[in-house]
Parts: sequence; C-alpha cells; structure tokens
Amino acid sequence: MIENKRAGFEELEHTADLEIQVWGEDLDSLFRQSAAGMIQLSGVEGLVEGISSVQQNISLEAMDYEGLLILFLEELLYRLTEDYMVYEIQELSVSSEYTLKARLTGAQIKSYQRDIKAVTYHNLNIRTTADGYEVNIVFDI
Amino acid sequence: MVSINELKRINSYEWEIPQSYRADMQVPVRIFASEELLKGVTRDKSLEQAVNACSLPGLVGSVMVMPDMHQGYGFPIGGVAATIYPQGVISPGGIGYDINCGVRLLGSRLSYQEIKPYLDELATALNQFCPSGVGKSGHFRLSTREVEDVCRDGSRWAKKKGYASDQDLRRTEEGGRIQGADPHYLSPRALKRGTNQVGSLGAGNHFIEIDLVAEIYDHQAAQVMGLREGDLALQIHCGSRGLGHQVCSDYVKSLQGAVHRYGIELPDRALVCAPLESPEGEAYLSAMGCAANYAFANRQVLSHYAREAFESVLAGKVSDWHLFQVYDVAHNIGKIETHQIGGKSTQVCVHRKGATRAFGPGADDLPSEYKKIGQPVLVPGSMGTSSWVLRGTEEAMERSLGSCCHGAGRVMSRTQAKKSIRGEDLRKQLNNDGIYIRAGSMAGLAEEAPAAYKDVDLVVDTVIGAGIAAKVARLKPLVVIKG
Repeated sequence: MIENKRAGFEELEHTADLEIQVWGEDLDSLFRQSAAGMIQLSGVEGLVEGISSVQQNISLEAMDYEGLLILFLEELLYRLTEDYMVYEIQELSVSSEYTLKARLTGAQIKSYQRDIKAVTYHNLNIRTTADGYEVNIVFDI
Repeated sequence: MVSINELKRINSYEWEIPQSYRADMQVPVRIFASEELLKGVTRDKSLEQAVNACSLPGLVGSVMVMPDMHQGYGFPIGGVAATIYPQGVISPGGIGYDINCGVRLLGSRLSYQEIKPYLDELATALNQFCPSGVGKSGHFRLSTREVEDVCRDGSRWAKKKGYASDQDLRRTEEGGRIQGADPHYLSPRALKRGTNQVGSLGAGNHFIEIDLVAEIYDHQAAQVMGLREGDLALQIHCGSRGLGHQVCSDYVKSLQGAVHRYGIELPDRALVCAPLESPEGEAYLSAMGCAANYAFANRQVLSHYAREAFESVLAGKVSDWHLFQVYDVAHNIGKIETHQIGGKSTQVCVHRKGATRAFGPGADDLPSEYKKIGQPVLVPGSMGTSSWVLRGTEEAMERSLGSCCHGAGRVMSRTQAKKSIRGEDLRKQLNNDGIYIRAGSMAGLAEEAPAAYKDVDLVVDTVIGAGIAAKVARLKPLVVIKG
C-alpha cells in the first residue's frame, strides 16, 4: 500500500518470510509507517465493540535508530499477540539520542490473521534519501 | 548474488564456495544439491546468506547448506554451522526464532483399509482436540512457575502430568529434555507468552497429518521403527510458540551490544553472536534450552490430544488405536556435540537452522534400538505431497556433522502463492485427491500450496545420493490439519 509519495510502505517478494519497504519524510514518519505496515501484514480484523480506547505512553531507548525501530515494532507486536490490542499513534518523536516517546490510543481487536514471529535485524539499515528516510524490514513468520 | 559458475563441483550432489570467494570467510560453504535444485537456489539469496554465515568466529569445517535451502534472515534456512566449543560463538539467528521447531512421528497398528471410513471423522476430532490457528491458546493456562518447570524439564514435565510414556521420552532427541536449561535467563515476557500455549499447534507451515505408510525401502529399519506398509502414521510439526520467538528476539537484541564488546565484525546484524564461554553466550544457550524444552513438551501434549482424538473416534470400533512414538527430532536448534573433525574428536556447537540431526548407527543419545540402524530422520513434504522417513548414516557423521535436510523448502513467496492459487480451489483439489483438510484460514492454506515448495522427492534423492541419509519409508498424506 502506498500512502503517498513521501510516506508509505509496500510489501516486497520474499521466499519464506515477509518484507516491507518503508519510507517517510522524517524519522517520526518512517517509524509510524513501519508500524502501520506491520499491523497491515498481521491482518487485524474487527474492533471489539463496547471496549473504550486506552491511552498509553511508551518511552524506549536503544543504541541506534535501527535498534530503536525494532524495539518499537516489537512492543506493538507483543501487545497485539498477547493482549489483542492495536494502537493509533497520537504523537511520536524520535530523538537523535536514539530515544522514542509516543502517545498511543489502543483498542481491543477480535482477531488477527497472521502470526508474525519476530521483527528481524536482517539487512536492517535506515537510509537517507532525497525525500527523507527509507528502510527495508524483514519479518519472520 | 552467487552464480552457479562460481561454485566448485565436488560430485553430482556436492558443491563448494571456496573460502577465497570473500575475504571475511573463515571457512568454505559446502552445498548439498543436485544441479537441478541448485538452479532454483541461485534465484534467491540463500547462498549469499551462507557466505555471510561463514564470517562467524570459531567456525570449523564448512558452513553447510542442505538441498531444501531457501533464503531466510541472517542464516539461510537449511544451514548447518559448527563452532568450536567453548572458544567459538553461538548465534541465535543461526537457530531461528522458532526454537526447536521440529517433527514428531507416531506409528500405529491401524490399517488404512480398516480406518478409511473414519478418516473424515478423525480429521474433525483432531481439529477439535488439538488447538491450532493464529494466536490460539492450548487447553490450559499455566502459572509462571509451571512454565519454568516446563522449560527446565521439557517432556519429563509432560510425563509427570500424565501426557507421556517412557517410550515417548526414550524416542525423543535428548530424551525430550535439554540439560542446563535455566528459566532464570528468560525475560518476564517470554515466560508470560508461555503460560497458555503448551499443547497448541500455531499457524504458518505447522501441521498435524495422518499419513499412510505407502512404501517401505528398508525393511529391517522400518521394523525397528514399527512402521508397516499399509498402516497409518501421524506427524506433528510445530515448535516453541511465542515463548521461543520471544527468547530469540530478546537475545538477538541483547547480543547487538555483545558483538561490540567482543570486537566481532559481521556482514549482517541478524547474525549477532557471543562467545560460547562468555556470560552472554552462556545465558543464550541456557535460554535456548528452555525454549527447546518448551517445544518438546508442546509436541508431547499435542501427541496426547491426538491419541485422545483417535480414541474418541475409534474406541469400540477397532481393537488397537494406540499411536506409538517413532521419533521426535528438532530442526531449529543449537547443540553441543562431539564430532570427528580433521581426525580429532572435537566438541562443537552445531547450529541447525532448518536442518535435522541425522546421527548414524552407534551414536550417543540414541535409544538402543536406533543405535543399530541410525537415528530416524523425519522429512515432511509440502501439503498434499509425500513425507519421508530416513535414517542417519555413518557418512552423515563424517561429512555433514550428523545433519540432513528438514523438508521440501520454499521456492515461491507467500504473496506470489496467494496470487496464483486460491485456498478454496486448493482445498477442493486436495479433497479430490482423497485428502481431508481442516484449515484455519483459506489464505493461509494458499500460502502453503505444494506449488510454493520444491519437490521433496528431489530433495530426498539428493541427500540419499550424497550418502548423508538412507531411505526407510515414504508416507502419503490422508488428513491434514493446519492452523
């Protein structure tokens, strides 16, 4: 799915696992798009009605941007698979000290279609482009 | 991309990428493949990933890839790499996220002719008794302390709870329990994810299958394993579920720092590793053992449910519906083993990622009956195609560190499979072939279509040709349960 020219994601061919290419005008947008790409791959279905949305703040710290991206996606993946929660990202900021702060609103889902086992480090490399940033992420399924 | 003309041909089934191919290679790559399979392999990045794996410190011999190889992340799937113990490294990515994903084969005295009318009912019962599907839990919830017991004791825990027999344990790799597994090395998240998944199949390529023992190639070995032509058998393919995935994720992350501390340079961060004798390496080895034990217990509990399913359908109709253990073997694991390397008995850590242990006759860790014939090697085919029961050989001990292929191996991406094959059409086609299917999702079924995989018969012919396994029996699927 291509959201727009400056920010979005697209699924690529991979023999056994899943790979997405993600791009964004800045790191914040790259992280948001990566999360959206992963949630789409997991095939989330239907919100549970009558469950009010939950506010959640997360704060993460890593040694580099790639490590931070993995931490962020793993956090969302854990909440999806363990708690059946998906989140809308209200605010998100990535700092040059490799920290991430985000304010999320979560809602419970009925099910998801695909077990993503993990977000891998395989050739994970956040690149700068003429329009911002780009990264390829491989998920083990 | 590595091309075929850069490979050195050793014989019809073996090829080499010499160490001189790239400056950071510590050892060469040894490829087990026929020329035909090799052509398919060079289309993806498997060989490039095998070359990357050759950069790990402390490797011995060569990095080997089996004929069912395909592109993975970090290591290729189908890869075998041994590092010297304890100076070499251990790499979680060389084992995989689904730690101790493996296969169990149960045999029976049920003849196909006798059971044919009940197959549809058996499919339904298996599907009901054995929880499967995306995010599905097992039948019970454990406390964190009980999860720790499972991680420490593996199949022995299952036996204590009444889910296993002595024979089940004897005929499981490592007796279903890896020693030195200390749950203290697991994160709270890993333990939490383990609370509700013991005895659950999961999704993806995991399955339970009722098979017909269609053909016997080695009568003596088949007799020792209890397999008779015309009888039914049951395969279970699954692993350590969320607990195992979490262990691998946790340690791939924490080892990112370790590689800097130990001054290890790698071409891909998915290969992160730590020296086996370092605190980080020891911690991962122990945590991996926990996840491996969880997987042994998981397959054991699923076997118990499968036995209950058979009983529920067949009690009163036939006299003996028991499913007895043939063998249970891991294909994503790291093991400390002793091998003859360069004529010397050497302790190594063998990483098998999408590769099955295939110990030859006389090897330690085999029950007495299998010491005579070699270890049963279980090679499931893709859905709807044959599976193979092989046995390990002396040559495997000499040439592949007692390792062999683990399945058919993918050739087509999941997106491509879904574009070209409709799940519903596939189900109809399999039904027409007389195979009963129970699947959690039609899209998931399409992703696992036989056309997305290599021909398992060609894969098996290659390992036989190379001498690293011998044929015992071919199994034909009758009922397939998929998550």
